Amino acid sequence: MRLKLISCEVLYREMCAAAARSPHQVDVEFLPKGLHDQGSSSMRARLQEAADRVDATRYEAVLLGYALCGNGVAGLVSRTLPVVIPRAHDCIALLMGGRDRYRSYFENHPGVFFRSTGWLERGQDLDQAALLIARYGEDNGRYLFDEFNGYQRNYRQLAYIATGLEPDGSFERQAREEAARRGWQFETIRGDLRLLERLVAGDWDENDFLVVPPGWRVKPTYDEGIIEKEPA
Amino acid sequence: MSELYDAIVNGNAPAAAEAARQALEAGVTALDLVQSHMVPAMDEVGRRFECEDYFVPELLLAARAMKAALALIRPLLASSGAEPAGRVVIGTVKGDLHDIGKNIVASMLEGGGFEITDLGADVAPEKFVNAVRANRANLVCLSALLTVTMPAMKTTIEALSAAGLRGQAKIMVGGAPVTQRYADEIGADGYGENAAVAVALARKLCA
Repeated sequence: MRLKLISCEVLYREMCAAAARSPHQVDVEFLPKGLHDQGSSSMRARLQEAADRVDATRYEAVLLGYALCGNGVAGLVSRTLPVVIPRAHDCIALLMGGRDRYRSYFENHPGVFFRSTGWLERGQDLDQAALLIARYGEDNGRYLFDEFNGYQRNYRQLAYIATGLEPDGSFERQAREEAARRGWQFETIRGDLRLLERLVAGDWDENDFLVVPPGWRVKPTYDEGIIEKEPA
Repeated sequence: MSELYDAIVNGNAPAAAEAARQALEAGVTALDLVQSHMVPAMDEVGRRFECEDYFVPELLLAARAMKAALALIRPLLASSGAEPAGRVVIGTVKGDLHDIGKNIVASMLEGGGFEITDLGADVAPEKFVNAVRANRANLVCLSALLTVTMPAMKTTIEALSAAGLRGQAKIMVGGAPVTQRYADEIGADGYGENAAVAVALARKLCA
């Protein structure tokens, strides 16, 4: 099969590794991690646009390297090719191998901030404080920076998801240093890339993947299945 | 309209506090400051947000200015015995630690003349129930930022129903992934797509 994968760049290393091992030809397009911050309707519009650009004569399916992502895939319509999406809430669940492990970790570890290679190396270079101060002045800029980051006061632990793809220990070390800087506990948890590998291998078991046929769209279910299809 | 109004709309906290102080010294009543200056200012901020002239930072700065003025006015309001527009219990639901949106809504409602009890983030259903009872609240605002924690909105609403509080308090829900459809599914009384519409919705629900 020839498959088109549209993925968030936060999964860059993991998706490249998975695509390399796929029995199929997988063409990959990465979209910016910043879609996450734009709100669900804007994110859906960008994903729809990318999915609609795929040449239906050249591929057999569109794969999404996304989860429900704050409803960023909710309402996405399959037009001419089936669209395949892993059943998960977010990229952390994708990196942990699926929603069950994510849920049990989430429920037993309140206040965890996650890091992975993508979360460490992509989009971290913006100096948000400096940008806000330049735009809103010293006093209001600092206030806004504190307000935007104040939710982090509620976190207690940083978990680095190690996938085994890392070239050395530098990612884990960065995460450990960040935890120390913030005064949080630190833990390394083992990632599980089998869900991503099955996505690009065409192994779309209904329990773990939603296949949206042409003429249907994605609907969030807010239960264990996470997403389902409905007529568009 | 007035210096206080301008200071709030422009997000200038020191100017808002100073304008409120001068107005009070000049004999303007606390209630008049709220109703004729602060509420219209926050309405204007909401209007500008709706037409995408203002964004989240401007909302936060207007709320900050409004709170600076309110710090001077609130003690006087309390002693005047003025009834608030509504008594609100607000929080982010259990399991969810995000609070920016919830904080903005709380500030907008406070500026709109509501009395706010903010329970913070990761709030268990029974804590909402107890706070509604203790504060004689007639409005509960639930926030969630994660699809994985949205079902906690449902369990919180069920807890309020089981406690027999649905007659006393209306429930409104919001947060980035929350939709009108989900609000209807879980039996909420109202849904606000953003902080700017929250005040109008709260007024409607408390009317």
